[in-house]
Amino acid sequence: MTEHKDQDTNMREARINALLDRELDDQQAEQLKADATADQALARAIIEAYQLQRAMEQVRVEPAPASLRRKLKRIPRDSRPAYLQPRWVAAFAAIPLAVLGLVLLQPSAPPAGQIRQAEIEQAQRDLAVAFAYIDQVGNLAGKQIETQLVDEMSDAVAGSIFRTVQHQKIL
Amino acid sequence: MKRFLITAFCTVLALPAIAQEDALRDLPGFVDFGEMNSIYGEPKVNISIGEGLLKLLFPIVKNEDPEVAAIFSRLKGVRVSVYATGGDSAAALDQVSRVKNTLSALAWSPVVQVNEEGQQVQIFMKMNGEVMDGLTLMAVDGEEAVFINVIGQLDPEELSQLMGRFDVDLEESLEFNFN
Repeated sequence: MTEHKDQDTNMREARINALLDRELDDQQAEQLKADATADQALARAIIEAYQLQRAMEQVRVEPAPASLRRKLKRIPRDSRPAYLQPRWVAAFAAIPLAVLGLVLLQPSAPPAGQIRQAEIEQAQRDLAVAFAYIDQVGNLAGKQIETQLVDEMSDAVAGSIFRTVQHQKIL
Repeated sequence: MKRFLITAFCTVLALPAIAQEDALRDLPGFVDFGEMNSIYGEPKVNISIGEGLLKLLFPIVKNEDPEVAAIFSRLKGVRVSVYATGGDSAAALDQVSRVKNTLSALAWSPVVQVNEEGQQVQIFMKMNGEVMDGLTLMAVDGEEAVFINVIGQLDPEELSQLMGRFDVDLEESLEFNFN
């Protein structure tokens, strides 16, 4: 089951990467669009990938500090650990800038105040639904208790009448 | 590289929701209902409101009804999970029994226990003197399994006052009136 899920995730990411790299033909693109319409998680993943790509395009790669560059030059290239290879140093420096860029360069993202208001409204709705379910369970419990009590009282009353009649017959 | 960044971004987005649920776990009124997604799939209703969101609502409640606001301020969390059992309630009934036994062992007081063929309603309170630290309701019938946990230092009567402020038709659960 987990393997199947991993394969699905890999396939999904491959399709999204192909879309971003413009490697899909028209039919494949249409198919992906139809799948995204039916699958919110896929649609969200595609949107996030586009946003990330846009942010990455805006990122200016920060050059390594001079002191680090001097140290790197002193190490023969072949014996440098992988994480000190210049491309990785630049990549690590780019990550916080990418995240910052993503946050700042969101032309369609609503302002923080609107997001907060939407959260409040959703919380109100959720609380109302929660209390309605509490009410529903309480009513269900009440009905079941009432039914049981009525049954037991009916048995008790019927039993009492029966015994009275029997007693009278004997007399 | 692209895959790593996308994964990292999604993980960062999920952190606040996880943190909210985790914060409730340390409270005495919290109940772990266990995992049922693998049996019934995603719950049709899944609500988890922690202290953070309740604090956002507090100014609105205070503005509308200061008396209820005092009660509202002591509410720490509300969690609801509703699963569609599709007529197969055996697993849900087992889960209710397990949770019931756990609550009894943790000195929760049973308030209502109704057991019928294929149906159960269990209501427990975690009392702390004259107030309760938590309320748990579990109900299973032929179609649904409902698990509710209310966390906070409330008098049981105060809870009905809070509920009276909300009015929602569960059949059309998108609509609500907050009076």
